[in-house]
Amino acid sequence: MNYAKGKAPIGERLADIFIWLFLILACVFVVTPLLFMVTASFMPAIDIMKLPYPWFSDHIHWQNYWNGLKGPDGSFIFVRNILNSLVVALSVTATTVLLSSMSGYGLAKFQFKGRNLVFMLIMATMMIPFETIMIPLYMVVTKMGLHDSYAGLILPFLTNAFGVFLMRQFLITFPDEVLDAARIDGASEPRIFANIVLPNSGPAIATLAILTFRSQWDNLLWPLLVVQSDEMKTIPLYITKFMAETHSDEGIMMAVATMASLPMFILFFTMSNYFISTEGLHSTVKG
Amino acid sequence: MKRSTWLLAVAIIVSLSFGVGAAKPIELTYWTHTDDNRTEIENRYIAEFTKMYPNVRVKRVVNEASKMGDIVLTAFSANNAPDLFNLPIEQEYGYMKNYRVAPVDCKAIGVKNYDELKSQYIKGTFDAVTMGGKIYGLPLEITNWCIYINKKVFRDAGLDPEKDYPKTWEDMADISDKIAIRNGDILVRRGFDFRYPYYLVSFLPMVEQLGGKLLSDDGKTAIVNDKAWLQVLEYMREWGPHGRNLGSPTYAAPRKIWNKDNNDIAMCLSGFYQQGRLQNDNPAFFESKEWMVVPFPVFKNAVNDVACSFYGHYLMVNAQAPKEKQEMAWKLADYMLSHSMEYLVKVNLIQPRKELLTSKTFKNLPYTEVFMADMNRAHPVFLHENGYQFERFIKEAVEGVMLSKVPPKEALNTLRNRIQEVLDNE
Amino acid sequence: MQQHKGFSMEQKKARWGWIFVAPTLAFFLVFSFYPIGNAIYMSFFKKNLLSLKPPEFVGWGNYKYLFSSDMFWQSVANTAIFTVGTFIPLVVLSLVLAAFIMSRTKLQKFLQMALYSPAALSSVVAALIWLLIFDPRGLANQALNFINGTSGVNYHWLSNANMLRLSTIILYFWKYIGYFTIVFIAGIGGIPDYLHEAALIDGANRWQDFWHITFPLLKPTTLLVSVMVMIQCLKTFSTQYLFTTSGAPTRPIDVITLSIYNTAIKDHNIGRASAMSVLLFLVMLVLTWLQFRISRTEEVTYM
Repeated sequence: MNYAKGKAPIGERLADIFIWLFLILACVFVVTPLLFMVTASFMPAIDIMKLPYPWFSDHIHWQNYWNGLKGPDGSFIFVRNILNSLVVALSVTATTVLLSSMSGYGLAKFQFKGRNLVFMLIMATMMIPFETIMIPLYMVVTKMGLHDSYAGLILPFLTNAFGVFLMRQFLITFPDEVLDAARIDGASEPRIFANIVLPNSGPAIATLAILTFRSQWDNLLWPLLVVQSDEMKTIPLYITKFMAETHSDEGIMMAVATMASLPMFILFFTMSNYFISTEGLHSTVKG
Repeated sequence: MKRSTWLLAVAIIVSLSFGVGAAKPIELTYWTHTDDNRTEIENRYIAEFTKMYPNVRVKRVVNEASKMGDIVLTAFSANNAPDLFNLPIEQEYGYMKNYRVAPVDCKAIGVKNYDELKSQYIKGTFDAVTMGGKIYGLPLEITNWCIYINKKVFRDAGLDPEKDYPKTWEDMADISDKIAIRNGDILVRRGFDFRYPYYLVSFLPMVEQLGGKLLSDDGKTAIVNDKAWLQVLEYMREWGPHGRNLGSPTYAAPRKIWNKDNNDIAMCLSGFYQQGRLQNDNPAFFESKEWMVVPFPVFKNAVNDVACSFYGHYLMVNAQAPKEKQEMAWKLADYMLSHSMEYLVKVNLIQPRKELLTSKTFKNLPYTEVFMADMNRAHPVFLHENGYQFERFIKEAVEGVMLSKVPPKEALNTLRNRIQEVLDNE
Repeated sequence: MQQHKGFSMEQKKARWGWIFVAPTLAFFLVFSFYPIGNAIYMSFFKKNLLSLKPPEFVGWGNYKYLFSSDMFWQSVANTAIFTVGTFIPLVVLSLVLAAFIMSRTKLQKFLQMALYSPAALSSVVAALIWLLIFDPRGLANQALNFINGTSGVNYHWLSNANMLRLSTIILYFWKYIGYFTIVFIAGIGGIPDYLHEAALIDGANRWQDFWHITFPLLKPTTLLVSVMVMIQCLKTFSTQYLFTTSGAPTRPIDVITLSIYNTAIKDHNIGRASAMSVLLFLVMLVLTWLQFRISRTEEVTYM
């Protein structure tokens, strides 16, 4: 809304101020705990629980980070744990994107008997809370001998219903003419999928990738069951190990928390273009 | 073929197969909880053990204590259990009752029978792991808790730790009130605070001091002696934020901050190992001797002199593992445990072997007489297949009374009903 | 001549459809359908996780027990309280924030990124941070004391039953508000400009434009968001698990998922846990179906 000349009416200006205040408050609410985490990570533990909280301290306590990396047993296993989280999250993201696109494509662009039933069945799995299937799933994975391994961490999450849903919604709007033209040109279905559909699904794939990566990075319950050795732990397990240790030092915990969050922050800020752009989710949301 | 040649051939073949059999590699998995000092010495023992038995490989896996219960349970339920493991006895009880763990292999550990094994330890050591005349675990540690006092904080509050330390629970409340420093409602320094999630070990004895019990002797009725229970619940209510505001489960656990000597807590309830941790965390405070250990208090009107229950960790062996693995697991357990002195000195764990407890080294360590005296006043922690559930119910009763203003009578009735329901369902 | 020379175009396409879908379907068979089938099956038995004895068939026994157990109904109530308490502010405020952000001409991207940042944290980290904030000596008390001009008042964020529930809701809200705001922004952005222009020409002001053009056209987005939020809330686990294992009382925030976990892993009662899971699954199924039903009657098309 722009007004060619002259000032906006007072009602509008008040509304403006109110809106800005609201937005600023929202940002403050959202960002303050993060600021707390980062500032606390640089303080010795005794200072953190002081009343009032000493936001600005002149002394930077780097030891927290060093101790956090070292871990309570001095083995730096945290580094390995970060690697594990990365391997698992990236693998799951890759497989999810691939399988969801494939099935989304099949469901969106192909007519076959039972298509709707299949779609509904897949959607129904979204409603299965993980706790419901965790024990039978654990038994399946251990029977395969995959406990305490990357495969065991990755397999139950090869794809998920939400991914299928997202890709299907997006691909429904994919122009049929382009596909048909390619078919007439004699291209095989797999080639059409790989060379035409995938490259042009950037926004949806990016969105799915970010969401999947995030949710795997965050996964606590499954690794809790399946991981038995220190080397195979993922970041959430390492953190809970800290929370229960007798030497629970809040400064070290916040340092570990900050380090654990860095990859996600980096990913998020670099991929934000896909995510934030108002066009990004538009086509996936419609319908 | 000539007979002698034939015999020779057989002998060679037989001895070869023996050799081959003996050389078959055995991989043992040993799961235990985190403890840096113990990890160090046990890794050494394992290295020595595998030198003695070259065909054995040991994989030692640690997880933190609070998760061990879940992890071991899930493993057993999927028939994927470790060969050797330890858990607190309250959690191990279920495994024993369901025959998931094996009785101690006397031959493997070099004793004639269970009696000989028992004679090496003090009386009562194996009570918690004995079933049907058989013993199902070897003690890794037996622990009881006493009160650690930071003398400096006492003096800062105008008290003399040597004279004024709490002997009764009523004392404890008054002293904590004197020591407490508050910023409005918020406690910045506490005198004492309880070890909250461990109600079976530390809360139940308080009830028993007043003559109460969790179950009737025949195990069929829940809650004996309401008056005792109500008195303790009322005491906890007074302790909490809606009473005298002396502490609460949502503040930091005392034993975790006591070592820092940060003037935020005066006393904590902890075991002998606390000293070892103190020596590591804060050697200056440890050396200064500005701390002491005193016995578990009793109520003024107590009818039983009961101290904090003792619990333990026992090494147990998976009954579903192949026989050779079981045998090797017992051998490994026995080898590790034969180093009681090092466990004591390096990890501050007490294995109740007679020769250890009567040794000079043990007697010279600070305050061992306090711990041993308290262990004499105490009984093993309450054991029951549904013990975990009962502890959860007690937790909710105490928290309801302390934090949610539930009247003690109502909390007690709820507690009784829930426990009774579980008993009736058995 | 052209008798059965391969399949017809349609049949070929149909086959390819199956081929594309098959791997995913196979995956779901093993890792979703089999376990849920197993859980449904187990719900009719009584079995102790540790016991080597075979499971004992009890028919509807587990279900009957649950319906008459007040601990079960308590966890249902807790889940409902949490879901409603989170769902309403989350949907309403993310819509409001989206509208506000879209009405600004500057800093749109910055605002979205700022609001979204908590979603980048894992729930374990979020719980860690907020446990410190809700500590009696932490920021939450300090903030409220500051606003009210009081000193030293303890709001018992982690000890009072209702405050504890509020604390878990605040955490969840904090974590997801940015995410859903972005979804709404995408929805608002999808409304063609010419509709707004037409309204402008007709003399509508900002408020009327929002209320009569944007809001109604956001129905499908609102529905999508509602479904996602509700399912997320019903599935909540980490927050309550981490709080209760760090000293907070269990009773007020013993939501169904936590109850399922504790029943299986702590009480070793796998049959009862399976029965609870089946009930939860059914509830979610019904809710989702209801919402999709409503959405079908509200198809939105732009002219």
